[in-house]
Amino acid sequence: MTDTSHRAYAVVLALVVFFVSWAAVAAKPWVTAKPDPRLAALAQREQRLRADARLVKIVVDRRLAAYRAALGLRQAQIAQSKARAVAVTQAAPAPSVRVVNLPPLTITRSS
Amino acid sequence: MLRRSFRAMGTDIELLLDAPAGARAEAALDRAEAEFERLEQVMSRFREGSELSQLNREGRTSAASPDLVHVVELALEAREATGGLFDPTVHDAVVAAGYDRTFDDVPAEGAAAEAGSCGGGVQVDGTSIVLEAGTRLDLGGIGKGYAVDRVCELLAVAGPCLVNAGGDLAVRGGSWPVGVSAEITLELTRGAIATSGRDRRRWRRGGGEMHHLIDPSTGRPAAGELLRVTVVADTATDAEVLAKAAFLGAEIDAPRVLVTADGRTVLAGGLA
Repeated sequence: MTDTSHRAYAVVLALVVFFVSWAAVAAKPWVTAKPDPRLAALAQREQRLRADARLVKIVVDRRLAAYRAALGLRQAQIAQSKARAVAVTQAAPAPSVRVVNLPPLTITRSS
Repeated sequence: MLRRSFRAMGTDIELLLDAPAGARAEAALDRAEAEFERLEQVMSRFREGSELSQLNREGRTSAASPDLVHVVELALEAREATGGLFDPTVHDAVVAAGYDRTFDDVPAEGAAAEAGSCGGGVQVDGTSIVLEAGTRLDLGGIGKGYAVDRVCELLAVAGPCLVNAGGDLAVRGGSWPVGVSAEITLELTRGAIATSGRDRRRWRRGGGEMHHLIDPSTGRPAAGELLRVTVVADTATDAEVLAKAAFLGAEIDAPRVLVTADGRTVLAGGLA
């Protein structure tokens, strides 16, 4: 009886060891998992986009700086122009005109 | 009094010179007439070979003549000063309204007109002018005023004079009675006069009346209660800009005569 029990335990144990070993071998732990090509493509794309974004930022920064410089220049020109206009207005005699009862030498009309 | 009349810039030009007849006066009048022709060749939008037409076609020039640069700068300053009421970039709007050839050739009737775009960017740097994509310039009004001022300077060397380009006029020396309407005559001893209105240069499109004074905010011929505005200013260029701005509703500080659509005449800005 005892021998029979021992044999049965031994068989069960052998079976368990066999299946565990089988599962372990089937899992092929010595083979490294292949990376998913779609993930690799996504990673590449992300890197490319980050590089593009860096370039775009550089270009935008440069253009913004050029725009600010041009804006400053234009504002200075406008200020100069206004100052010139004020100076001219103050210096030049105002137009002289009055309503008269004379026959006109010429006429003005919608141009 | 010497008087010479001719056609230039699509309108009637009149030169009055208070000087004795002779070779000197004739030479001055010849120079004045030639100057109109020269400036028309620079600023006409109707001449294929003009400098302005070339700029409008190509969108840029790196070797603009001093006259073109100066007038474009004056026009841009006027756009800023009038808050956009005066705008040299109304070219496409005027063309869209039907004024796409010299006025004598514009058909009196035609299909409905579209609104045109205005307000495009223009960059001037030295002799370089760059137009924003799709932007074209019409220097018709201000160009005429500039030409009047230039020619008046030239003619003044021969004596007191008046130069009148279809209503835009300037004087140097002397006193000149100028008819503004059948009832009103202004005596001008210094400065210039310009008139803007919708009583001339009119045509019809799609049953509606069109004219050449474009409201830049709508891209269509301006609607309003004014028929005509006459403004007195230091120069014909200024008078032209102010007259157009006043016609479009700007409050200006200059002697002026306003004629409303219902026929009323109003004197303003110190005229009595």
